[in-house]
Amino acid sequence: MAQQAHPQSILNNVISQVVAKFKVIGKAESDRRGFIQVDKSQILQVAEFLKSLGYDHVKSVTGIDYPDTKEFEVVYHISSYSNIDLAKTILALKTRTKYEDPKVPSLYSIWESVWTGERETYEMLGIIFEGHPDLRRLFLPEDFEGVYPLRKSYKLKTEGLFVDKPS
Amino acid sequence: MVDILFALRYYFFYPSFFAVIIFPGLIFTTIILLLTIWFERKVAARVQMRVGPLYVSKRTGGILQLIADAIRLVFSEIIIPVGVNPTLYVLAPVFVIAFTFIPMTLIPFSAIPKTGSLLSPYFNIFYDYEIGKGVFVGYFVPYNMVLILGLASIVPIFILLQAWATNNRFAIVGAVREALLAVSYDVLLVMSIAAVAIEYHTLDIAKVVESGIPGIVANPLAAIVFLVGMLMGTGKFPFEIVEAESELVVGPSTEYSGFLFVLAMGGGYISTFALSFVFSDVFLGGWLPFTGLPGALWNAIKAILVLWFTVFLRSVYGRYRIDQALRGSWKYMLPVAFASLVLGLVVGWLWIR
Amino acid sequence: MLTSQAEYPSGMEVEIVPVEGELNVGPQHPGSGHMRIYVKLNGDIIVDAELDPGYVHRAVEKLSEVRNYMHLIPLVERPAILDSIHMNLGYIMAVEKILGVDVPERALYLRTLAAEVNRIASHLYGTGILAIFLGHSTGFMWGFGDREVWVEVLQALTGARVTNSYIIPGGVRRDLTPAIKEMIEKAIAYQRKKVQDWYKIFVRNPNIRDRLENVGVMSRENAIKWGAVGPNLRASGVYYDVRKIEPYAAYDKVDFEIPVYKEGDAYARLLVRFEEIEQSMRILEQVIKNIPEGNILSDRFFKQIPPTRLKKWWEGQRRIVFPGYYASFRPPKGEAVSRVEAARGELLYYVVSDGSPHPYRLRMITPSYRLIQVFQELAKGSRYADLVAIYGSLDYFPPEADR
Repeated sequence: MAQQAHPQSILNNVISQVVAKFKVIGKAESDRRGFIQVDKSQILQVAEFLKSLGYDHVKSVTGIDYPDTKEFEVVYHISSYSNIDLAKTILALKTRTKYEDPKVPSLYSIWESVWTGERETYEMLGIIFEGHPDLRRLFLPEDFEGVYPLRKSYKLKTEGLFVDKPS
Repeated sequence: MVDILFALRYYFFYPSFFAVIIFPGLIFTTIILLLTIWFERKVAARVQMRVGPLYVSKRTGGILQLIADAIRLVFSEIIIPVGVNPTLYVLAPVFVIAFTFIPMTLIPFSAIPKTGSLLSPYFNIFYDYEIGKGVFVGYFVPYNMVLILGLASIVPIFILLQAWATNNRFAIVGAVREALLAVSYDVLLVMSIAAVAIEYHTLDIAKVVESGIPGIVANPLAAIVFLVGMLMGTGKFPFEIVEAESELVVGPSTEYSGFLFVLAMGGGYISTFALSFVFSDVFLGGWLPFTGLPGALWNAIKAILVLWFTVFLRSVYGRYRIDQALRGSWKYMLPVAFASLVLGLVVGWLWIR
Repeated sequence: MLTSQAEYPSGMEVEIVPVEGELNVGPQHPGSGHMRIYVKLNGDIIVDAELDPGYVHRAVEKLSEVRNYMHLIPLVERPAILDSIHMNLGYIMAVEKILGVDVPERALYLRTLAAEVNRIASHLYGTGILAIFLGHSTGFMWGFGDREVWVEVLQALTGARVTNSYIIPGGVRRDLTPAIKEMIEKAIAYQRKKVQDWYKIFVRNPNIRDRLENVGVMSRENAIKWGAVGPNLRASGVYYDVRKIEPYAAYDKVDFEIPVYKEGDAYARLLVRFEEIEQSMRILEQVIKNIPEGNILSDRFFKQIPPTRLKKWWEGQRRIVFPGYYASFRPPKGEAVSRVEAARGELLYYVVSDGSPHPYRLRMITPSYRLIQVFQELAKGSRYADLVAIYGSLDYFPPEADR
């Protein structure tokens, strides 16, 4: 449900600053949600800039698999604890990388709260975060070395209880 | 015929047999042990909005629950792990329980008057010259305070042996804690008993009782120090550090099962019972104003009350950390123990002759 | 063989043989829950503690790619079964954002009611677990005994004690009756009286204070740096609660406060939880007084229920039967991020939909997930006996972190 963002809203302000400085794509979907799409070569500088604006922690690190375009997308949702106006917003920082080169720079040096999220994304999808101090399996048992379950190529066998119309 | 009955009666009531095996000896202690665990569970349940043991014997409030538990544990399989020395593994809990029980053979339970009591035939055999009467005890020594505490302080060594023999990391951590605590609580116990000894000018517990002044009136500081030392030494709440359940599974007796587990668990309770007998003798007036067997019964009732009080603390307190317990005993209780020594000196010189 | 490098309070260090040892506070341990803590000890001090979660990993995120949106409701609320109303609520809020559905007023108030009852039950559970870790069996039994009262309220309202599946897209499933209102008022009176007893035996017990004060101290900068959530964050001096920052359900219409403490130790976290119980009861009283009349399911779905079934269930017992739309609906393409304040902290849902009956990606960030790093950092340098105190005071719940 996207309402038109109030032109003077704080989030709009932040996104337009980032877009102006780094030439990336960004949009505020509402007063409280917005996203910035960056290339992985620029992500460290954009993150540094956002930290200086007041965003001080990362809420989640999500990896999404797009087999049609053979890309992985990594989404960081960041917000702020100390700045009350920014605390009301969640900004999504998105970056893409190809299947052949699943490496993304790690944001651990900027925000330490990505520690668990990056480790889990590594073990579920096989995306390597360069610069992470301790990239190992976290939740999966030992027989999942080299197998990345959250990729769409890993099929789950389910029993059919309910018949869906084919999409 | 009458001779045989007379001889039977003589040997049955002989204090070295009667006091050690029957009352208050092995059999009585075992029954009281079961009753105490029942009481602990029942009173904790009442505080905690529960019912406690109930179903085994509904009409008597579940007292037989403990007998059912004991029977089950006795018939469980004794598992001996592969990497241990089997002899030491089996012997260690036996030593623990033996040495917690030995002090009870030396504690005077009652006085034997010259005539008029079932125990009077033994008046001369167990004569105590300090009080002019006989003493109902397993083996009489005139300096029993020192000997009781000395024997009771050997127990931690066997707990260490028990933990070492099981070859388990959690047991070792528990044993290290026991070693650290043993030094602290022994000092407290010895100092409080020394204060009482100086005050009453004797090393004989029977004389302390017969002087007519209970120790808690003459030297209350020593009573407090002794009580805290007793709680620390036997692993009762709030000092249940050696067997801290949520950190160290069961502590030194982690690997034991079946009958050996009963022995390992019972050691703590028997040690508390022995020390609570000492407490009731020295501080609560012992067997006065009765003598003979009724005196021993009165004494036992007092000791059971002390034991049940210490067991009740389970429902009120959590457990302390090891460094907090050590700091408490060395930084706070030791000055109180010194004060009790000084008080004992002063009171003993001025009033008690 | 471990020997202890004891450091007595006067600063005297006794170095016997400095040896390190490793302990597995593993899954088969009374003080670990469903996970393994790999502890490196040096005497009594923990040098390094590493969490090994994953024993109850149920792959909720992978399973969500093959299930319908409605089938996911029971799956998503199982990771934290004692807090399931919040897990349910967050997911449904994200789905409603994608679908574009309005929720009627009465349903918003009912959602708040169920969420606050669940918050009280979860805090009592957390306090009980902390008590048993410290050896205080009375606190454990009272925590679970008092929780019964609130769980019975939930059963009367939703039909199940835990994992209620109460909230559906567009509203809630059942309505509030006067009998339930009376039950809640009695429960509030009982709990207020019991909290006084709690203070006497547990919170102000000098033994418990000694165990919890200055244990696991988390300064404000560290709390922000490591991303702590929930009462742990509020006990370290950060004023942050999703109910105030981004009000959802009916939280902007009720009046409540947020306790914030500065010390950041385990005792402050315990106090924050107790005061939150009191504030939740305040919210419950206001909700019961002010709840408006109306429908409990959005009209868009309510119209689709066949009239015969409607007559039997709705007019008879005020229960919703699901309309055919729920069978396998296809939301439009889009994505949504929703967050709620669960009992343990902030819960975040990120749903990506591509127009098919299954979500393309569901990401669920539970509060205990974000506490994994906090736990490891706080355990370093503390004593071995403090490990369980930190664990209990953070209210870390392993199945919630594993999902």
